[in-house]
Amino acid sequence: MRRLPDASLRGRAITVDLEGESIPAIEGEPVACSLVAAGEPMLARSVKYHRPRGPYCFAAACSHCLMRVDGLPNVYTCRTPAREGMKLERQNAFPSAKVDVFETIDWFFPKGLDHHEMFAGVPIAEQVMAKVARQLAGLGILPKEAAPASPESRTLRTRVAVVGAGASGLAAARELTERGVPFLLFEREDHVGGRLAHGAPEQGAPAITDVATLAKDSLVTRATALGLYDDEAGRFLVVGVWEPTGVRLLKVYAERFLLTPGGHPPMVPFENNDLPGVYAGRAASLLLRRYDVAPEVAALVGWGEELYGLAKLLEERGVTLAAVVDLKGPPPPGAHPLAVAGTEPKAHGMRHVSAFSFTPRDGSRRKVSCDAVLVSVPVSPSFELARQGGAKVTFDAGHGLFKVEADADGRTEAADIFAAGDLTGGGSAKDAAVAGRRAAQALVGGLS
Amino acid sequence: MSKSMICSCEDVTADDVRHAVSRGYCDVESVKRYTGFGTGICQGKSCLSAVAALLEQEKALKPAAVVPFTPRPPLFPTELRLLATAPVDESQPPVGGLPQDVDTFASALRPEGPLPAKAKVVIIGGGVMGLALAYNLAREGETDVVVLERGYLCAGASGRNGGGVRMQWGTPALVELAKRSIDLMKTFARDLGINVWLRQGGYLFLARTDAVAKRLERNVTLHNRYGVPTRLVTPDAARDIVPGLTMKGCVAASFNPEDGVIFPWPFLWGYAQGCKKKGIRVETYTDVTGFEVSGGQIRKVKTDRGDIACDTVVLASGAWSPEVAKLVDVQLPNEPHRHEILSTEPLKPFLGPLVSVLDSGLYFSQSMRGEIVGGMGDPKEPPGLNMGSTLRFVSRFARALMEQMPHVGHVKVLRQWAGCYDVTPDNNPILGRTPGLDNLLQMSGFVGHGFMMAPAVAERMAKWMVTGESDELFTRFNLRRFSEGALEREDMIIG
Repeated sequence: MRRLPDASLRGRAITVDLEGESIPAIEGEPVACSLVAAGEPMLARSVKYHRPRGPYCFAAACSHCLMRVDGLPNVYTCRTPAREGMKLERQNAFPSAKVDVFETIDWFFPKGLDHHEMFAGVPIAEQVMAKVARQLAGLGILPKEAAPASPESRTLRTRVAVVGAGASGLAAARELTERGVPFLLFEREDHVGGRLAHGAPEQGAPAITDVATLAKDSLVTRATALGLYDDEAGRFLVVGVWEPTGVRLLKVYAERFLLTPGGHPPMVPFENNDLPGVYAGRAASLLLRRYDVAPEVAALVGWGEELYGLAKLLEERGVTLAAVVDLKGPPPPGAHPLAVAGTEPKAHGMRHVSAFSFTPRDGSRRKVSCDAVLVSVPVSPSFELARQGGAKVTFDAGHGLFKVEADADGRTEAADIFAAGDLTGGGSAKDAAVAGRRAAQALVGGLS
Repeated sequence: MSKSMICSCEDVTADDVRHAVSRGYCDVESVKRYTGFGTGICQGKSCLSAVAALLEQEKALKPAAVVPFTPRPPLFPTELRLLATAPVDESQPPVGGLPQDVDTFASALRPEGPLPAKAKVVIIGGGVMGLALAYNLAREGETDVVVLERGYLCAGASGRNGGGVRMQWGTPALVELAKRSIDLMKTFARDLGINVWLRQGGYLFLARTDAVAKRLERNVTLHNRYGVPTRLVTPDAARDIVPGLTMKGCVAASFNPEDGVIFPWPFLWGYAQGCKKKGIRVETYTDVTGFEVSGGQIRKVKTDRGDIACDTVVLASGAWSPEVAKLVDVQLPNEPHRHEILSTEPLKPFLGPLVSVLDSGLYFSQSMRGEIVGGMGDPKEPPGLNMGSTLRFVSRFARALMEQMPHVGHVKVLRQWAGCYDVTPDNNPILGRTPGLDNLLQMSGFVGHGFMMAPAVAERMAKWMVTGESDELFTRFNLRRFSEGALEREDMIIG
């Protein structure tokens, strides 16, 4: 990964401290992005096998980018804005992440390590293992200082709480604004649009709503939904909002919860899918569209329309494609000319991706050099809030994903929970916007 | 080395999932527990669908049986200090808790094969009690046993507890049982081939009032009499044992270095595998729906998969015991009480013992994996089978914990959940024959500490059942005592 030569200046050039080394960064961008752009993609060692890890999802849905940041353990560097002089340390490595002696665990146990049965009942070995395991377990070190108190919590009441300002959440917000229904729209990023803003561009996708057209003070950005709960006053959403003085907890009571949080970029199991240099497709489009950071030569693997949208986006910005491999079968008409059907993908490299191989239909093995493997598959719906609230979640065997059961108006099995967009099983951004608007229209009907 | 990661937070590979399936753990909840997938920082966001798809592809599960594991709040790692700011009205009881429907299991998960038409012993409840009893019966030579479990192994309190094991009890009977249990835990891996990760870091009990301090003092005499090396420690000495502990508001402490923590789940898997090797059937996702009684004896246990004729029935259903007993018109005095618990991000070792403030019920320890695991009972908690999670609990717990360990304010909570204590009027178990229904044996009412008692209780109960030799445990803790009046109350209850 590197910052493209034609990158526009999006912030002040600063330096951050990576284990004593000064690394250039752009103020305000996710510090993990600055690190990969500066040629430092290895951010951690994994918990058990001490495998090298670099950021994968850029969506706080994995754990590859966790670092010790300014003395605090396990911080998602994909969500932490770079600040001048911030101190970054790689975790779980001895003596250092680049030369970690515990990497030998990975080599000694090529077929994995069965902690249930290993040395079970073997005198002495069992006790030694327990002692060693305890020292090796854990990720990060307890902070040295007592934590200052967080800002005071706030309790809010609104008619509709909308979670996620992507295509469907924004369309719903527009509808609620037009109808004059009070609502609050929570977005965990500092920008709205979801995949409209940072996914692979789609044909016929709606424009991102101008947030100035939404009801005043209805949008809360950098707000992460932490859970759906209830108490004597009814059901409420708990949200953690980033503010300059720290994260503030909001208790948000609402009559309706419209859930449009989209999905998580999933891991696709293949050999060395956790090697630094393997990124989720959504991460690659985010890095490119928002921060002008991209690989030089990329291999793309996955399935679905986003895979091909990503291939197009990368090529337009001058990234060389080494391979585009569709794991579900022959590429659809009009797909990228490089695209082929393939199986058994594998990433190669010691500390970082240097090549990618796969088996095309003819059964031979093909290997290409690259500096990134980009895994683009449909996102895995973020059904957690809906499930907590009592909506039904079913498995879609065809897509290999869980989705929330909802009718065309977004109604779920829970009377106060409505769902739209990726959550209900995917579709285009245009479909998501339509679903969001319909859900907003439907839920207004039952409001007091 | 080439590996195919399916859960990269916990370094679980696709082969690990296949291995779990080969061991008979096929449903998502069981695979989660056996492999550890989805228990790390991301809580399954990046791996759950991939594991589900693999289970479906490998035909371990029918598509309708592929249900996600229950998502647990918070949905993003959240600092204790943030949770501590949520408002709590201590004067009011907790209301609600989400999710509410976790208690039901998809019918597609129900096994398709028939149950045996008859068995000598039917044990209702595949928690640690039932499984440990079945295994011990087999060791005593009785293998004509069926264990019925309504969910997956670990679905009930046996899979939901914090893994504390201690000899610091207030009555001789429990001190002795706990002592024997911990001895059995030490040899568990040798006997059953699976690690349970017993770590004897001690239990440090803190007292806020003189009355509670007196109780600790009394305990020390009792414990020492039974060979348990409990000692009273001053607040300064307690701070030496746990660096960073404030001892705020505490006047005294007691410490037994031989208490400790274990990893609960492998006990169930170990006992269940041990049972299966000896020919005992452990039937999961099987619901007991009723009984056939005649002549003052249970003749058949009815389930949603058919009836089993039997000689003896053991009720080992924990917090569900009163509900099951009602099906055969037996009134038990037990009441289920929700107790909530949480687990944090894993950190390098910093906490040796399990620490508990006896006055408030706050307890916390560091698991083998490095997580802070802890809970705190709510004095206002109403009785009822409720396993929903509340914001109130995490807030109360965070405040109480930060008062004793201010350093942990930055530590992030990964998940919270709840289980039910099976509470009896004297905080002691119900064991032995049921008055008026001779072949129904009780094995419940352990008030949140059944897990640590199970190995010893099961050992004695199996012997008592098979040999018919008298054992005072089954008269002392008989159901009859509640109508006869003489109750000896156990007061060392925490959580």
